[in-house]
Amino acid sequence: MPSLAASDLRERVERDVRRALLRGRNGLRYAAGTSRAKVGQTPKDVVWRRHKAELWRYRNEAEVRFTPPVVVVHSLVSRSYVLDLHPGNSAIAFLLGQGLDVFLLDWGVADEADSGNTLETYVDEYLPAAIATACEAAGTEEVTLLGYCFGGVLALIGLARHPELPVRNLVLMATPVDFAGMSGVTALAREGRLDPDDVLDDTGNVPPEAVEGAFRLLKPTAEAAQYANLWQNLWNDAYIEGYQAMAQWTRDHVPFAGAAFRQTVEHLVRGNELVTGDLVLSGRRVDLGVITCPVLNVMAEKDHIVPLPAAEPLIRLVGSDEADELRLRAGHVGLVAGRSAAKVTLPGIADWIKADSEPTEGT
Amino acid sequence: MPERPLWRQVFDAVDRRVAGPVEAGARSDVFADALALAWRVQRRLRREAERQSARALHLLNLPAAADVRRLSRQVAALQREVRELSRERER
Repeated sequence: MPSLAASDLRERVERDVRRALLRGRNGLRYAAGTSRAKVGQTPKDVVWRRHKAELWRYRNEAEVRFTPPVVVVHSLVSRSYVLDLHPGNSAIAFLLGQGLDVFLLDWGVADEADSGNTLETYVDEYLPAAIATACEAAGTEEVTLLGYCFGGVLALIGLARHPELPVRNLVLMATPVDFAGMSGVTALAREGRLDPDDVLDDTGNVPPEAVEGAFRLLKPTAEAAQYANLWQNLWNDAYIEGYQAMAQWTRDHVPFAGAAFRQTVEHLVRGNELVTGDLVLSGRRVDLGVITCPVLNVMAEKDHIVPLPAAEPLIRLVGSDEADELRLRAGHVGLVAGRSAAKVTLPGIADWIKADSEPTEGT
Repeated sequence: MPERPLWRQVFDAVDRRVAGPVEAGARSDVFADALALAWRVQRRLRREAERQSARALHLLNLPAAADVRRLSRQVAALQREVRELSRERER
């Protein structure tokens, strides 16, 4: 039917012209940097602070319906706002909406004064104090500990060194334990081709550019694909907002404290001591077998930063009777942000946490 | 399923062909050695450039980045001492 085809054609032309105009407008805004993404918008209060580390408590505008509270432990090398990217794409907001009381332990931005921070600084000094503060602030005796990426490693080591910590449940997301399964720069360090001191800058820390470069090396063509996606969707305001938030995060790393980095390379990467059980920190062996609380290991099947072989062995290493796995067809960031996170990962995690929690009084 | 424009289909086809070999290249021994060497060379070159520029600035009695860094290192050392003292006090 020629008349239908003609109207289709007209509609298509109109749509393309409209999109071209929007592309032009959004492209100019993007290039000029006038519409920076507003990240980390969920209201929160700082309830504890020590040196650069801070514990935030997010305000739950709905109602806290479950106890104990969830304490999120973030990675040492990235910004924690990936968990609270922007309204409509926020893991934190999702957990709050599920009736959970959410705290986040943010390590801050390491500078020269922090270059001597060791793994012990984080797991012996900051983590126990933050957990104690969360208990006090929420009026509970226990917490659910949720570690993301290297934050999961810190949560594991912290709990193994301090089994007395009041942790009811442990959730680990994209957490590497078997560093033989890691590729990229981690493999370079493991094979001795890269000396940790070659990466440190004058502050004694690993500079954020090196961290960013290391992640980029894992998928060298990913950036080109991202720009293609951007061009294709440049007319779409909602897409641009999400893209800018994520693009900002991927270029926004923080320095890795030098002493902790050296320990990570020597013990975790080269010695693979979380798996061999030989990790000794400050004269004490770190035995993951002493962790007996319920554990949920959340892994992303398409994770190029922490591949499955690096995360899978966790269940065998902890001493918990209740150790569950959640495997998802997502990437490293897709576990906590984006559509698959909102539809699959976060509901799965929230359900698991709630099943091991109790309703608060009055609900 | 939304239609993909022709340019995108071409891009995806090229990406599928290129991504694998590029990633394999980035994981190769040769690349690893080149990267480690580049890191070392870059570090040395930067230090040498700083040394030369510091020499020139010092001739004019001006502070160089290295001087500022030395100061900030001292401040950082002080901060660490204060932290250590507060830890001891808490024990």
